[in-house]
Amino acid sequence: MKLKVCGMKFTENIEAIASLQPDYLGFIFYDKSARFISSEIPNLPKTIKKVGVFVNASEETVVTTVLEHNLQAVQLHGKESVDYCKSIKKQLPDIEIIKVFSVKDEFNFDVLAPFESVCDFFLFDTKGKLPGGNGYTFNWNILENYPSTKPYFLSGGLGISELENISEFSKSKASKYCYAIDVNSKFETQPGLKDFELVKQFKQQFAVNTIQHTMSYNINDKGYYGEFGGAYIPEMLYPNVEELRQNYLKIMAEPSFQEEFNQLLKDYVGRPSPLYFAKRLSEKYNTKIYLKREDLNHTGAHKINNTVGQILMAKRLGKKRIIAETGAGQHGVATATVCALMGLECIVYMGEIDIARQAPNVARMKMLGATVIPALSGSRTLKDATNEAIRDWINNPVNTHYIIGSVVGPHPYPDMVARFQSVVSQEIEWQLQEKEGRTKPDHVIACVGGGSNAAGAFYQYLDETDVNLIAVEAAGLGVNSGESAATSALGKEGIIHGSKTLLMQTDDGQITEPYSISAGLDYPGVGPMHANLFATGRAEFISITDDEAMNAGMELCKLEGIIPAIESSHALAVFKDRKFKPEDVIVLNLSGRGDKDLQNYIDYFKI
Amino acid sequence: MNRINKKLQEDKKLLSIYFTAGYPSLNDTVSIIEDLEKNGVDMIEIGLPFSDPLADGPTIQKSSSQALKNGMTTAKLFEQLKDIRKTVSIPLVIMGYFNPMLQYGVDAFCKKCQEIGIDGLIIPDLPVNEYKAHYKETFEKYGLINVFLITPQTSNERIAFIDNMSNGFIYMVSSASVTGSQSGFGDEQTEYFKRISDMNLNTPQIIGFGINNAETFKQATTYTKGAIIGSAFIKYITENGIDNLGAFTSKIKS
Repeated sequence: MKLKVCGMKFTENIEAIASLQPDYLGFIFYDKSARFISSEIPNLPKTIKKVGVFVNASEETVVTTVLEHNLQAVQLHGKESVDYCKSIKKQLPDIEIIKVFSVKDEFNFDVLAPFESVCDFFLFDTKGKLPGGNGYTFNWNILENYPSTKPYFLSGGLGISELENISEFSKSKASKYCYAIDVNSKFETQPGLKDFELVKQFKQQFAVNTIQHTMSYNINDKGYYGEFGGAYIPEMLYPNVEELRQNYLKIMAEPSFQEEFNQLLKDYVGRPSPLYFAKRLSEKYNTKIYLKREDLNHTGAHKINNTVGQILMAKRLGKKRIIAETGAGQHGVATATVCALMGLECIVYMGEIDIARQAPNVARMKMLGATVIPALSGSRTLKDATNEAIRDWINNPVNTHYIIGSVVGPHPYPDMVARFQSVVSQEIEWQLQEKEGRTKPDHVIACVGGGSNAAGAFYQYLDETDVNLIAVEAAGLGVNSGESAATSALGKEGIIHGSKTLLMQTDDGQITEPYSISAGLDYPGVGPMHANLFATGRAEFISITDDEAMNAGMELCKLEGIIPAIESSHALAVFKDRKFKPEDVIVLNLSGRGDKDLQNYIDYFKI
Repeated sequence: MNRINKKLQEDKKLLSIYFTAGYPSLNDTVSIIEDLEKNGVDMIEIGLPFSDPLADGPTIQKSSSQALKNGMTTAKLFEQLKDIRKTVSIPLVIMGYFNPMLQYGVDAFCKKCQEIGIDGLIIPDLPVNEYKAHYKETFEKYGLINVFLITPQTSNERIAFIDNMSNGFIYMVSSASVTGSQSGFGDEQTEYFKRISDMNLNTPQIIGFGINNAETFKQATTYTKGAIIGSAFIKYITENGIDNLGAFTSKIKS
């Protein structure tokens, strides 16, 4: 759902609220209103539509005001007739016309029909003494009988305290055609002056509360992305997972949670991470490439975004003991780090073979106070470490929280982790706005193992279908070599670690071992969000071999002075064969730095 | 009437044994089943091995990976069991994880079970809601009883729901743990057994996890209809082979 902030009056305040990127800003051109705007409207980003609000004004006034202030929409709050609307539309064919109707306990929807063809939107406001700005809500259940398919704005007394109701409403049938939420007086310190922090908080939580119901490529309320997802877990895990499912959205929406999370991302992780225009790389491939520098985060990768979120979640759930799985050790280190930060016990399961391969990260975890337990079962790698962590959780159902490191596992994990990682694309939006004057790139590229960095980079664009999403998988020695981790190419629908998704398995349904030079992409499954992006064709999937990735990693070192993680090098390798237009704007999520992979680079290039 | 329901009506405490099909050797399946019946076992859970058995401890994990190495598959198991009803009359249940069944095809899997004379299924990672929404009709079409688990953490409300969804018995997991990790029951478990018993559920309960000798069998069946032994039996055949299963069962029943 879109957000409109109405009744803007003061220049500085207009600029401040505009920086929060609402979809619409409303200006009242009705001189009897306390919010009547008498000054000029400052220059605003093109992504924000300026709406002029009028009450029974003459057609001439409306037309000249629209032209004078370069408005993109008019909102008609009086007794304007069908013919009046028709005439405005004729004179200003590119302007959106929003016709307002006031509602109390009942409403005769028959009055809408004649306006259908002459308006772009309806707006439903509370009936009160004044034309708008009465400050209380109407009975939204009335909208269950909405007979039209015309998108509408919901207005009237909406404030922070209505967030939960809005969330409920957005799940209901009545909200099917609700296009936007319109807010005004509940955010004011005086008429026309909006409280920046309050609007900011509302906008963030509004997104959290309503996003899942409006994004078709995002998760649905049953925990599925299309056919994929769900919670295929033994009954022993049900109470733990159910506790999390019932609480995660509620906790994430708490202002104190948001505040603590954002503070830690800023001061501890070092966010926002830069969006860097890679000039020489762009010249080489004759296109415009921006790198989202997740490699500059504390602990060296995007993983920490999720562990910070989950440790705060665990604290609020009253958990005293943290468990995690890790493959290469990056998620283990990120988990050990936040456990040290919060003084919680930390146990990391790691395959016995990986422990031998990743000695520096094992040492890091131990220095941070974690206990590293070798997974001795099965193939003794990431998949088995995950099994062991799940078994630990079965054995310790009350006091323990399991911090899963990717967008995998039973619902709500894939969604929760994606939300914590979505900070990546939230930042890309405003950073790209600053650099390119647009929030949407043409392409977003990210590597996919389980898929958490890709989920974060794609999140804001899942339903913006004019943004091409490119997911890059590890082909290992080649997709058909038998030594590969290209799940979309080789996987079939099945169940792994509690989730229905694509996974690599035998015809008999036994899960097989993947291979990639990159330990972070070496997972036999893929998160259900990505399985759905693949199955629906929403994202483009590309497989990259070890050799291609290593060479692309080395190229970035030479061209940009950045040593990337081998996972991210897979994403970089896309440019070799996949051609882009010179004017394309591409954002590549540089998910991690290459320090941990130094030995691999040394061995591979015989440095 | 399904053999499971008939068995549950008998006036005795039931001893049920789990073993992993294809372990210790690929072709031991039929002989283990026949011997267990001869030694007075009331019901058998035939374990369909899986590469990633999340709810199992090391004993069953190892037997599963060995069985897979031996060459056990879903098709192979059905092949081994095709004439089982010529020699065995006690209830037989297949216990396994959902993914191999999904790959075989749930309908084809259930159909095959009916042909062979399998009476029910225990699928720990197929949650009751998914079952209800997608698979219940298929199971019922082929006359299969689906068995759900409850644990000490399961809420009363959910137990009531599971009771309502069950048509055979409820698999009562004795404690918060994976298989094979308990030794003896304490007060906490006894209280849990009593609490469930006092709920007077419509569906009889059989306890599993942590039963490994006569004492724990007796404790478990004081409040319930029967008990299932898995890891302890696997350990026994690992150490003693499969030639004298009576030595194991007689110890439990003594």
